[in-house]
Amino acid sequence: MATINIREATEISLEIGRMLLQSGATANRVERMMHKVSEVFGYQHTETYVTPTGIFISVSDSQTKLNTSIRRIDNRRTDLGKITRISHFVNELEQHYCRDGQCRLSAEEFLQKLAQIDKAKVYPAWFSVFCGGLTSGCFCLLFGGSWAEFAVAYAVGVLVSLSLRLLGLLQINNFLLNILGAAMVVTFAKLIDIVVPNIKLDNIIIGGIMLLVPGLNFVNAIRDTMSGDLVSGTARAVEAVFIAVAIAAGSGVMLKLWELWGF
Amino acid sequence: MRPFDHLTLMQFTWAALSILGFSIRVNLRGWKILLLALGGGLSWALYLIFLYYSNSLLFSIFCAVIVVCIYSEIVARLIKVPVSVFVTCAIIPLVPGSSLYYAMQGFIAGNSELASEHTYKVLLISGTIAMAIAVVSSATNLIFRFRNRF
Repeated sequence: MATINIREATEISLEIGRMLLQSGATANRVERMMHKVSEVFGYQHTETYVTPTGIFISVSDSQTKLNTSIRRIDNRRTDLGKITRISHFVNELEQHYCRDGQCRLSAEEFLQKLAQIDKAKVYPAWFSVFCGGLTSGCFCLLFGGSWAEFAVAYAVGVLVSLSLRLLGLLQINNFLLNILGAAMVVTFAKLIDIVVPNIKLDNIIIGGIMLLVPGLNFVNAIRDTMSGDLVSGTARAVEAVFIAVAIAAGSGVMLKLWELWGF
Repeated sequence: MRPFDHLTLMQFTWAALSILGFSIRVNLRGWKILLLALGGGLSWALYLIFLYYSNSLLFSIFCAVIVVCIYSEIVARLIKVPVSVFVTCAIIPLVPGSSLYYAMQGFIAGNSELASEHTYKVLLISGTIAMAIAVVSSATNLIFRFRNRF
């Protein structure tokens, strides 16, 4: 049995908040999780403030000590699986590991567990690339494509997921990533079009674009606004609009370039 | 029996499969991805069915999103997954990606009539989805507040 001191409690809740926010949780959820964690460690009076680009937390034991800390968040990427696993971890923390401020593990062990969740690879890379193909192929069918177009959209989806993964290694910003992604959708579709006759490109390109649409930002923007987190609601809405514009611009410029090229 | 035939079933399957792919891409695992796929398929199938009976694009999107959001709020709480994960996956088929593409094509071709028509559609559809999600999530908040009080 160990007690977690106030600095360690702040550190652990900030780490949980950072991981949740980076993988795309709503501000309300991040705040609730951080509250829960510091409450479990025995610090009842916690105030948090979460925006999409930073976390502020001050943990207090209601008598003498107060510890405030902020953390800057960048390079966010959608990882809904991580959100789910951290939520499970916080529930476990409440039910199994800690009681009345007494914990079975030390702060370092908790941080190690978190790092494990952070690094865990759920699926091998080839499998999620394969599933990117499935998504874009099925969207192509959904919007009225034929089976041949399904096959082409599948190939485009695989190629685009693969190159997005490689571009992700460069740590470029979200906006540029989406411009390049949309441009690549068009490029791959046009390249395959040269080889394969009798396909309509519209549905294929739409299928590829559906891989990039900012669905998560959009849902989070609305849910944040509804729960009263106006700052993060507006920020996310603006991000969603920018990403949509980026997709349109990227694919549009590429289409025009191919047209000028003469295809 | 026009809206309940094999065509709708096929569309349901495509939507569900694409959401299955999407949920694997965002690292979700376990049998809950089947429920997510069911949500995605349901939203598209309901949209088609409502569209057949009402003949109104926005109304059918609104109703489909409301039903799917209620489904998400219930199922996500039962299997202890964040609700926004469920809602995100469920509305992806309805996100106006195709209108976005056609609007862009109109702009490129210099056909501003087509372009503005589709841009308008993008804005209206996303606004409708937003309204529907907002209605359901504030209703849920309200229900939980009442439950805590009594």
